[in-house]
Amino acid sequence: MHATIQKPIEEIVGFLRPDEKVFVVGCNNCAWKCHSGGQEETEAMAERLSRRGANVVGYTVPGPQGMSLCKLDHTRKVLQEDYSEQVREADSFLVLGCGQGVHTVIDATDGGMVHPGCDTIFGGETVSESEINEYCSLCGECVIEFTGGLCPITLCAKNLLNGPCGGAENGKCEVDAERDCGWILIYERLKAMGRLDLMEPYQKPKNHARWSRPRSLKVSPHEATFCSQAGPITVSNQD
Amino acid sequence: MKITELLENGSFVVTGEVGPVKGAIPRDASFLPPCAKEAESLRGQVHAINVTDNQSAVMKLGSLAACVRLKELGHEPIYQITCRDRNRIALQSEILTAFSLGVDNMLLLTGDHTHLGDHKEAKPVFDLDSVQLCRIASELLQGKDMVGNDLAFKPEMCIGAVVNPNFQPLELQLMKMRKKIDAGAQFFQTQAVYDDRVIDDFVEAASKLGRPVQMGVVLLKSPQMGAYMNQNVSGITVPQSWIDEIGSVDKTDRKKKTAEMMGRFIRRHKSKFQGVHIMPLGWTDVVPMILEEAEVSVQQAAA
Repeated sequence: MHATIQKPIEEIVGFLRPDEKVFVVGCNNCAWKCHSGGQEETEAMAERLSRRGANVVGYTVPGPQGMSLCKLDHTRKVLQEDYSEQVREADSFLVLGCGQGVHTVIDATDGGMVHPGCDTIFGGETVSESEINEYCSLCGECVIEFTGGLCPITLCAKNLLNGPCGGAENGKCEVDAERDCGWILIYERLKAMGRLDLMEPYQKPKNHARWSRPRSLKVSPHEATFCSQAGPITVSNQD
Repeated sequence: MKITELLENGSFVVTGEVGPVKGAIPRDASFLPPCAKEAESLRGQVHAINVTDNQSAVMKLGSLAACVRLKELGHEPIYQITCRDRNRIALQSEILTAFSLGVDNMLLLTGDHTHLGDHKEAKPVFDLDSVQLCRIASELLQGKDMVGNDLAFKPEMCIGAVVNPNFQPLELQLMKMRKKIDAGAQFFQTQAVYDDRVIDDFVEAASKLGRPVQMGVVLLKSPQMGAYMNQNVSGITVPQSWIDEIGSVDKTDRKKKTAEMMGRFIRRHKSKFQGVHIMPLGWTDVVPMILEEAEVSVQQAAA
């Protein structure tokens, strides 16, 4: 999931020009789980903006709970058919969702003006209803086979691939005494599994071309092509 | 002069450390920047002098410029290079540049995180880690860059690395040390150690790895500094007994006291190491007293 937090209301109000007609769009998946852009927050945002003098012409959260805003065909249908009048009237769209959702609204409105209502902070695991943690940096080349599934790019503040720096103390990272040293977590996990051998081999430098942005993925039922500066990489899910 | 030559000859290698100033070096050639003034106290006392690379992630004069200035003044610099601020292109280029400017020794480190320094919003680079940097430096010494291109002229330098004996679990730190050795590290300097037990546990394991190790010591200047290090300096613990001892004398006597304490400590452990690396944090004038107390003399000091 893409974790998001709402921007301060003053910042959002500052995005809007006097008399700008704004339509608020939420996301019923990730932003709903983050309480940054579900039905309740989107309604509230429309009301909060109105209270501050903004001209809100409407709002919606496309689809049922669990439906992502970034599903373009659905969002386009909702905005262009179900809310066609308000969308036509709107000068801009305030999006309560992640950066992908913001772009989806641009596409769904054929190039409409957008304002981000949230900061997109990371891709994470929904550990519970009240906690989302980052375990993957979406780097494009998974290295977690040799670390027992724990990502050193994400869990180590310095993204080290060949073991810890010397900075940890009492198992905590030099950057933050509350944060576990990612490499000690990896070590303890592999040790418990009797697989410390996995972390012995040299790990070569990361291929940052696979982490270059923007990236894209072309998918079909049996084949996918990942495009980055590393060149197109086509993989099959068949024998 | 590469300090590995001394280590190979069996010399007990003594190195000091200075940090570049926050500012430029004036063009007036007669002006001595602070690190050069500090280095003067080390002349004839040590074989070589580490020059830190934006230590603690605090932005300063570049380590390489300070190395070159020290070299011009007749000192033997050890160029510290961290992975924090440069990508793989810059790191390789820096090594070639350092050799081209007369530097013979490099010490390759991960580097303190940007968050610890004075530019907390900087992008931490860490394109490579210190193990990868050791390997890439070795490849440069063999005349190839890391992607296999030939170098028109290859650098000839020695490669040092760092290990922290205080790290728990020690086995994890030793694994990284082994990786650095496999990647081409020729000698090691330890992070600051103050604890007899830490030293003995570390030496027992590290001595089997077959690379010379210099024990690292940081001068304890005051009880406040000990408390500060325990609170703020990652990976280093100053035992209470040290803090009490340095606090037992008046401020005016602390240089003498720390010389006695550090010297005694080095004397007690020197036979377990192939050298000592003294980090004086500005108090380079104390280093001769420490070495005298430690009964360490530099056979073949830098000119």
